Amino acid sequence: MAYSGVLPSARSQAMVAEARHLLMTVAPGAIWIFVFLVLPSFYLMGVAFMTNGTYGLPEMPLSLESFKRLAGFGFLGWSPGNLYTLLRSLWQTVVSTGLVVLIAYPIAYYITTCREKWRPIMLLLVVVPSWTNQVIRTFGWMNLLAPGTPLAELGQLVGLVPENMGLYPSNFAVTLGLVYNFLPFMVLPLYAAFEKLDHAQVQAAQDLYASPVRAFWHAVFPQTLPGLLAGTVLVAIPAFGMYVIPELLGGGKGMMLGNLVANQFSGGSNWPLGAAGAILMLIATFVGLYAMRRIGKRLGGGEEVVI
Amino acid sequence: MMKTMNRNAVMGLGAMLLASTAQAEEDTLYLFNWTEYMDPAIIDAFEEKYDVEVVQNYFNSLPEMFSKLNAGGTSQYDVIVPSNYYIPRLIETGLVQELDHDKLENMDNLMEEFQDPDYDPGNQYSAPYQWGTTGIIYNTETFPEAPKSWSLLFDESVNPEHPFALMGDGQVSMGAACAYLGHGYDCTDMEAWREAAQLLLDTKNRDTFSGFVDGTPALQELARGVSHIGLSYNGDYLFFKDEDPETFETIDFMLPEEGAEMWVDAMMIPSEAPNPDLAHKFIDFILDAEVGAQLSNYNYYASPNEAAKPHLDEILTEPPVQPSDDDMDNLRFTPSLEGEALDTFQQLWSEVKSR
Amino acid sequence: MRKRTLQRSLTGFWWLTLFFLYVPLLVVVVFSFNAANSAASFTGVSLRWYRRLLGNEQILSAFANSMILAIVSSIVALVIGCLIGYGMYRHRHRKLGWLIALIYLPIVLPDIVFGISEMAFFVQINRLTGVLGPGLLTMIISHVTFQIPFVALIVYSRFVGLDPTLFEAAKDLYATPWQRARFFMLPTIKPALISAFFLSFTLSIDDFVISFFTAGPESATLPIYIWGAIKKGVSPEINAIATLMIGAVAIAAVLSLMFNRQGRR
Repeated sequence: MAYSGVLPSARSQAMVAEARHLLMTVAPGAIWIFVFLVLPSFYLMGVAFMTNGTYGLPEMPLSLESFKRLAGFGFLGWSPGNLYTLLRSLWQTVVSTGLVVLIAYPIAYYITTCREKWRPIMLLLVVVPSWTNQVIRTFGWMNLLAPGTPLAELGQLVGLVPENMGLYPSNFAVTLGLVYNFLPFMVLPLYAAFEKLDHAQVQAAQDLYASPVRAFWHAVFPQTLPGLLAGTVLVAIPAFGMYVIPELLGGGKGMMLGNLVANQFSGGSNWPLGAAGAILMLIATFVGLYAMRRIGKRLGGGEEVVI
Repeated sequence: MMKTMNRNAVMGLGAMLLASTAQAEEDTLYLFNWTEYMDPAIIDAFEEKYDVEVVQNYFNSLPEMFSKLNAGGTSQYDVIVPSNYYIPRLIETGLVQELDHDKLENMDNLMEEFQDPDYDPGNQYSAPYQWGTTGIIYNTETFPEAPKSWSLLFDESVNPEHPFALMGDGQVSMGAACAYLGHGYDCTDMEAWREAAQLLLDTKNRDTFSGFVDGTPALQELARGVSHIGLSYNGDYLFFKDEDPETFETIDFMLPEEGAEMWVDAMMIPSEAPNPDLAHKFIDFILDAEVGAQLSNYNYYASPNEAAKPHLDEILTEPPVQPSDDDMDNLRFTPSLEGEALDTFQQLWSEVKSR
Repeated sequence: MRKRTLQRSLTGFWWLTLFFLYVPLLVVVVFSFNAANSAASFTGVSLRWYRRLLGNEQILSAFANSMILAIVSSIVALVIGCLIGYGMYRHRHRKLGWLIALIYLPIVLPDIVFGISEMAFFVQINRLTGVLGPGLLTMIISHVTFQIPFVALIVYSRFVGLDPTLFEAAKDLYATPWQRARFFMLPTIKPALISAFFLSFTLSIDDFVISFFTAGPESATLPIYIWGAIKKGVSPEINAIATLMIGAVAIAAVLSLMFNRQGRR
């Protein structure tokens, strides 16, 4: 009788201790992120539903004005400016992510074919440029693409740009900058995937299928898919919201959603509109993540896919 | 050993952090000014005279300055130097405080036309710093016979193949387009604006357009050959020319006949400036006859200071610092916008930028 | 035969990609020694742009700010992130989905949304209470926020990789939780702590957008200074500052390689 009375209380004591342990280890960080990121994000979302004051600051009452504005409806009637910006962002994201995949895929594979001793060094060589700040990297391209440089002259020769012009500012320069900036983010996860490659499967496929293309498609590609998807998330999300590269390399021609949002705050014009743009970016981000997860699951990846 | 070193490093960092927050005390003046606009020697002299430290921050355009103030800057700067057309909106939004004229003895040094300006009657909130003009800078080798006109920018047949830049501050670019279209630089009429915005859009979409660039960087771009035409300020042009005469030999500054901008930059004190007392001292220091002249002699802008006149260099009394009478007739202030007009303008401008 | 051509063309492609990755940085370094103010022609070797940097107080203070920001934020993030990482491991059998979501939020949030949220929030707090005006403190808080998840995940995966019986052994060996932490856990996860610190540090140095929106008048970091300088007009001085930073990164790369080698031995 007495015995059975002690046990539950000891157990509940242990449970309390466990819960306290959980609280003590997890709470500081959780509270930190909640206070300094979740609350601010909600505040920003709130700002999107406020009225734009005469001089750009949010004011009461609540309204949907900034969303209407974002969709292009000003009191001047509908205009396509923001739509252009949105489409340009999507286009840049898709093109640059695609190019990054095209470059990173063979590179990641190539690294795994090299001697094991060299691999860390090779990976490091790919990653090191991204340790310098993105402003500096982009500035490097400003130097390279300026008028009179060999690259710009080549561009003129090919007819990419008119005479006397540099290769920046242009949408082309923005794409180039994005590819350059995000390449390492794709190489790393792809490398991890290639390293885990089951070579027995590949061998079997080579015996099974006549053409190397089909062998690749059926044996190699599915195995690298988790890495590819992870890389796509790491590249596409930040590329979609990029601010620095279009600002420096796009001039007045390559404005992206990130610039539209940032300009509402740094150009002092319209906080609620900027916040509405931020919400659009958030939605796009989460839709993208969700889509990647679905694709990953359907194509046979496990929970490890993406995140 | 390693451990104690780490601890010391952490404590040192902590101390630095504390120091950096505690420094915003009585002995520091925070100045928020345009780039390349202040003689370091004047700052040194002020620091020495009052035994204080001056911390300078810079902006390249008025929208940038305005947004910094909106984002908490009102309590971080003691003196700001906006241009005439932003002054009314700074006053109206309560981002700045009234000046205490009792603390500004040198206010009487100002020329008569600057004693009671339209943008701030009676100089209640602002004290003029310098004035100047915004015009076209262009490469004289590329355009040996450039017309004295905005057509250099807006007419493709005048400049079919060389890169050019427009001004990053929308109101100035818009004014230039208005002037070219014959509506006058200071147009505010809706129809004129729409037409100007369309012109800007078409101009921006030309292959040779090289970006929206603020006034000071535009000069750098011309010097480096990145563009051949741009918009900039008369004093900055002379300042750069003086620094690098060789390169600027082939770059000229011109005020188009259709009309161009004249502006006044004035010193103001943000509403919650950490040290308004010192801010008044600083403003009064700049308004001093000799300091005012030193400032103009340094940055090649015309002085609003009557008493400074005898101390001015000769170059400051001739064009482009002091525009010719003909040019003077064509110069206009950029209109100060508010309410619906400002909103309309911003929509048009964001259309131009994003399309 | 075919395989060899494939391998050979891959090698070619590898060098081409490396060229692509390093050319922009090389150009910056080379032109920082250019005697002329030009991006197109190199007229001769000169140190004039470096000479201009000397004694530029703003650059020195920007450098100091970058360092203070990176070190302090990394230390704070290391402590907090390490705790979460351990908590996540110890309680991995519970349903901690909300925690995972919370931790991934800073990773998936686009920089720009992150930055302006913080800015708008801090401005509002500052307006209401007068504390947290834009400056080094707000920057440190923001940086810690995006560093915590990375530290937590690195520490967590280190714990997962450990043999669970080790924990039992440690329980028998050391009586108090503190002793266990001091003599067992910290030493075992030391490699993870080091790489987490390095990653946090790099993330902080690499960040521009979030710093840009939370910075105050006296807390400009090196990237913010460079950004301002580019906006003010591209000049060869920027090449010189950027070269210094590239040099620092190159040194860090060599160090990390040596570290890596040693770790393997």
